[in-house]
Amino acid sequence: MAKILIPTPLRQFTDKNDSVELAGATVAEVMAALTQKFPDLRKQLFNDEGKMRSFVNVYLNDEDIRYLQKDATAVAASDTLSIVPSIAGGSHGDGHGSH
Amino acid sequence: MIRINETAWAAMVAHAEATYPNECCGAMLGQTKLGTVDGDVKNVTLAERLENAYAGAQGARYEVRPQDLAAAEKKARAAGLDLIGIFHSHPDCDAYFSKTDLENSCPWYSFVVLSVKGGRFDHANSFLPNAEQTAAEKEELIWPKS
Ligand SMILES: [Zn+2]
Repeated sequence: MAKILIPTPLRQFTDKNDSVELAGATVAEVMAALTQKFPDLRKQLFNDEGKMRSFVNVYLNDEDIRYLQKDATAVAASDTLSIVPSIAGGSHGDGHGSH
Repeated sequence: MIRINETAWAAMVAHAEATYPNECCGAMLGQTKLGTVDGDVKNVTLAERLENAYAGAQGARYEVRPQDLAAAEKKARAAGLDLIGIFHSHPDCDAYFSKTDLENSCPWYSFVVLSVKGGRFDHANSFLPNAEQTAAEKEELIWPKS
């Protein structure tokens, strides 16, 4: 069983659990098990086409799975997965009040 | 509603002013009280500076390194706090939620924008973006002496 750490704002969808232990051989399997167990989480993490939302990053221990084998990355029982969003922005981009 | 205490607010304003004319960013930690008479109230008691990791000119852009956000989340967990939101500054620009902000946002957090004009804090707003990154709702923001 791998451990998945749940960010604070998503705990309302996981019966307030801050971490969940789930079985799965790959990141994709563990994420599928997670959203099966907590269906309301699904729309937070995946879009209508079933793709992971662009701002969602998954870390295996301290490594971004994008730099491993993405969602085919193997997961061992001793591993910890974290869900970490990408956040950026800026005052440019729409000509509204910017320089 | 998001309420920021004096210590956290002072740290946020100091970070925004010190980083001027560039954009700053940081994490807001605290506690969320659900279902009070005022609805859900987020009380921010600790502001953590995060490095602006945007690779180009930072006068009108910021980027949070996911590892830094993960570290802030870890720190919050250890302290029994919640990671409530992200703040960033708009140098010489109003505190609105720009298209760039929206397209690079995440619906799970409050986004506080501080307007800094001529190096001094001017005003601030908080926003709650949706999951599709197409709209952000303004959230009531209370800071000390506001
Ligand atoms: Zn912005």
